[in-house]
Amino acid sequence: MSGLIDDYIANLRRELDFDPALAGRLASEVEDHLRDAAEADPAWPSPEAERRAVQRFGLGREIAAQFAVDAVDRQARRTWITLAVTVVVTFIAMRLRVIWLDDGAISALSPIVDRYAFIAALTVAVIAWFAFRRSLAALAICLAGLVASIGAGLVRADLFANGAPIHVLLSAAGEIALIGVLSFHVVGLGRRLRRTAVLRRPELQRMGQ
Amino acid sequence: MLGMEAEMLKGHLDAIVLAALEAGPAHGYAIIETIKQRSAGAFDLPEGTVYPALYRLEQSGLLSSAWTTPPNGRKRRVYSLTKAGASALGERRKAWGRFSQAVDTALEGGRA
Repeated sequence: MSGLIDDYIANLRRELDFDPALAGRLASEVEDHLRDAAEADPAWPSPEAERRAVQRFGLGREIAAQFAVDAVDRQARRTWITLAVTVVVTFIAMRLRVIWLDDGAISALSPIVDRYAFIAALTVAVIAWFAFRRSLAALAICLAGLVASIGAGLVRADLFANGAPIHVLLSAAGEIALIGVLSFHVVGLGRRLRRTAVLRRPELQRMGQ
Repeated sequence: MLGMEAEMLKGHLDAIVLAALEAGPAHGYAIIETIKQRSAGAFDLPEGTVYPALYRLEQSGLLSSAWTTPPNGRKRRVYSLTKAGASALGERRKAWGRFSQAVDTALEGGRA
């Protein structure tokens, strides 16, 4: 055959590069669809039958753009859930450190950063939840605030030097792990938002005309 | 360029896909063919449009899917309506009934 279907599938895979698992799944599904459609065409077997099947299916970029919009929604949901869990765990870990620490171990700056960076992150998160749920900037600010708060908290406690009990060490480990997961999700959301913007650019240009 | 019917269909595609699967499991190509037949060709969206809808509905738990290999054919992903999907279809039918009745009333009101 002419290879039109193979070319279309290869292009669709490229357009869906923001989600390799989805790209793999969809490639075989769409190939089945296109081969069924070409075989049902009166001109089958011919390159013309393949061309019409591909044409009826629509542009790979437009289909990928629809997937990308849904992918942003899913990634935003995952990021928000992780952010909520991180805020709760950070708060608990902060309280555990405060209960355990004696005042002599506290340096002047770190308690201020620990407390106010956390409050700033929480404030931005609450505002963003109601007004800018898909805002990468807001989520990045929350992440930065939590990183500052946790960093200051760990400096403040100087866990190993002060011989922290196991529950304080575990809560600190939980905070660090969650910050890693949250960073991963924020980066993933940024990648999907950028890809969606690129894929939807022609569509938005058409709407603007 | 998409016709008016196609633009209107986009907003209701999820419900139409659910309805196309009410009779039984089907793969993407068969679902598109069912939609075309039922609409007598009025809904002429690009065929690929159905796949984001299928994926979205599956992610929401309204559809399930599995690969099957018929004895005389190639491997296919077949979609089925879940219990939640059947219930969502019922809800969307009721909502559409109320909406279309309201639009009919509004449009016919000017003729009285």
